[in-house]
Amino acid sequence: MTLSDAPSIAVDALSVFFGATRLLGPVSFRVAAGETLVIMGETGAGKSLTAQAILGTLPKELRAEGKVTINGRQVDTLSPTDRSALWGRDIATLPQEPWLALDPLMQAGRQVAEAHRYVAGLPPEGARNACVRDFETLGLVGAERRLPGALSGGMAQRVAFAAATAGRAPILLADEPTKGLDAERHARVVGLLTQVPKDGGALLVITHEAAVARALGGNIIVLRDGRVIEQGQTDQILAKPQEPYTQDLLAADPQAWPRSGTAPDGAVVLTAEGLAVTRGDRVLIEGFDLSLRAGERVAVTGPSGVGKTTLLDTLAGLIAPARGNVQRAKSLGRHAVQKLYQDPPAAFPPHVPLEQSLRDVARLHGVTWDRVTEYLIALNLLPDLLERRPDAVSGGELQRISVARALTVGPVVLLADEPTSRLDPITQRQTLELLAGITEAKGISIVLVTHHAAIAENWAHQSIELKSAT
Amino acid sequence: MTDFTQIDAMPPARRSWPRIRPARGLGFTLLALLALCAVAGPDLVGQDPAKQSLLEARQPPSADNLLGTDHLGRDMAARLLSGAQLSLSLAVLSVLTAGLPGTLLGIVAAWYGGWTDRVLTSFADAVLALPGLLLVLMLAAISPGSWWALYAGISLTLWVEYFRYTRQRARIVMAEPAVEASRLLGLTPGLIIRRHLVPEIGPGLLTIAAFGAATAVTAVAALGFVSVGVRPPTAEWGVMMTELLPYWREAPFLILQPVACLVITVLALHLSVGGMRRP
Repeated sequence: MTLSDAPSIAVDALSVFFGATRLLGPVSFRVAAGETLVIMGETGAGKSLTAQAILGTLPKELRAEGKVTINGRQVDTLSPTDRSALWGRDIATLPQEPWLALDPLMQAGRQVAEAHRYVAGLPPEGARNACVRDFETLGLVGAERRLPGALSGGMAQRVAFAAATAGRAPILLADEPTKGLDAERHARVVGLLTQVPKDGGALLVITHEAAVARALGGNIIVLRDGRVIEQGQTDQILAKPQEPYTQDLLAADPQAWPRSGTAPDGAVVLTAEGLAVTRGDRVLIEGFDLSLRAGERVAVTGPSGVGKTTLLDTLAGLIAPARGNVQRAKSLGRHAVQKLYQDPPAAFPPHVPLEQSLRDVARLHGVTWDRVTEYLIALNLLPDLLERRPDAVSGGELQRISVARALTVGPVVLLADEPTSRLDPITQRQTLELLAGITEAKGISIVLVTHHAAIAENWAHQSIELKSAT
Repeated sequence: MTDFTQIDAMPPARRSWPRIRPARGLGFTLLALLALCAVAGPDLVGQDPAKQSLLEARQPPSADNLLGTDHLGRDMAARLLSGAQLSLSLAVLSVLTAGLPGTLLGIVAAWYGGWTDRVLTSFADAVLALPGLLLVLMLAAISPGSWWALYAGISLTLWVEYFRYTRQRARIVMAEPAVEASRLLGLTPGLIIRRHLVPEIGPGLLTIAAFGAATAVTAVAALGFVSVGVRPPTAEWGVMMTELLPYWREAPFLILQPVACLVITVLALHLSVGGMRRP
């Protein structure tokens, strides 16, 4: 067991190649015991490649160069088997999408106990006790016997954290640990992570969120297209970014957005009175009131599992309200309420070229193709993109295409369910800005569900915070 | 512990219809040849499959009789072609009459859910509880030796597979946000089926159809072989095997011919959907 005196990780001129193309690097850094390093950048910047190169889990067709030293031992020269022996013992990883990393058919407690038993080498009894302790510390008591599918995203994240750290590896590598978490869980995960260096570990965090970097402190590397843009102390770089890209990245943080103006004084298009939302026998939301005016942007926030999506579906008329009522203005047509989805690829038929999907909608609603093209251009989209299938365009582009698709119908109300939570910060800002601009010009109202308090605050005219009814 | 399988790059385009592989090419070629034989039938060799000539029994291949003659002096090639006609048309027919209602009912069950779904599923389960061969035998007993009993029996057993596959896939597709979006956007049910469902279930249905056709061809031959299917003197591969079995020592090339036809047909059907997404 290597609970070595000075855990550290050192990376020297690390590069990753695909054939002759350099995808990443050269990157060099050192994280010693009690230190933190944040690697920040957007999708495609090479953040995960860095993690893979350190762990030795790069896909076969990629090749790494440079020197990686973990706890004083050069590891890039080791065989794959020897490298995997380091996992969990010398270096632990907290994967993104923890529910994918957990075994769906194994109780949560067992997965953690198993790590204590086989990675840390505790006797069966000790492993069970250690697992109980972990669940107490992490606020997971009562979840030991549940299968991962029955855990919320935040709980799954903590179970994965417990399993990952059970081997007591002194180095923790966390890849986008806060992705898709609501504000409260976000803070809790960041809290867990800040504890790592305090306990004498070395922490390496990959994130696209400036707020996470700010909270963790330490040192930072800003990556873009595989190249290091800036490197230094986190507080200094965040306070005085030298490079324009870093400035853009920081400006994309919703906390830095300008406040939106006052709501337009339009006619009321959609009202909800005393709405209750239930799931099974459980009452999720009670007494929800809304009076939505034309051109108004309303944000709905609240913790995961509070019933935000169900509320949107009720407003859309897809689900009958459990109590209360939803009324649309008489002038609204059948298709006047449209939805935007969290995961853009899931909102399109996967095998159909995008152009076909859009043409179907245009034809059914008697809209000319020129008009659709106008929307696309207004949303900064190249019409050439439409020849592709949904999985061959980026998430940001696809979300804008889905906005264009919704506009084709001539909607009065757009119900958006976390439409940008899977997008990079800069893309998120662009998407929401374009959405605000185009809906304002057309007098379309938006109800936006978000877990980001700052987006609700700055982007919307009005913000409603949901609290669990139970 | 580690889950870094994903790289930050564009995912490769999803393929639902894989490119044709050599094995599939072979399967298609064989199928095309078989189809040609079945369409042309005995005319291809210009011989009557029923004409006996005891003086020319069990002759080796010659210019007149390309594949020789059987124990009654009938032209083997003409009889095999006639058998191909019977087997393949029965297979195609039963696949169509099983596939269309099976698929449509599957869509209906997934689309409406609730009671409709429960009734249809129970019915399918009930059919599934009966061994397929038993059903065919029962029908064959009602009307011995008739081809329609065979056809009805095979078709009745095969539709369940289409139904179950389609229903199960369609339920998943229907629950996707993409379908909800399409409904909100005002797409008609027909269009939703075409855009969302057909690309999703098409390849799987083709696979089931090919396997189903192979099952039908084998069933016809098996029943003919045990003398409950088509009766002599009809030229049918299974019947021919029974008739030629006593001569396997003296003239093994005779019984080999219908066996080879059966093997090639089943092989061609299986190869043609090889590598396709499995249901």
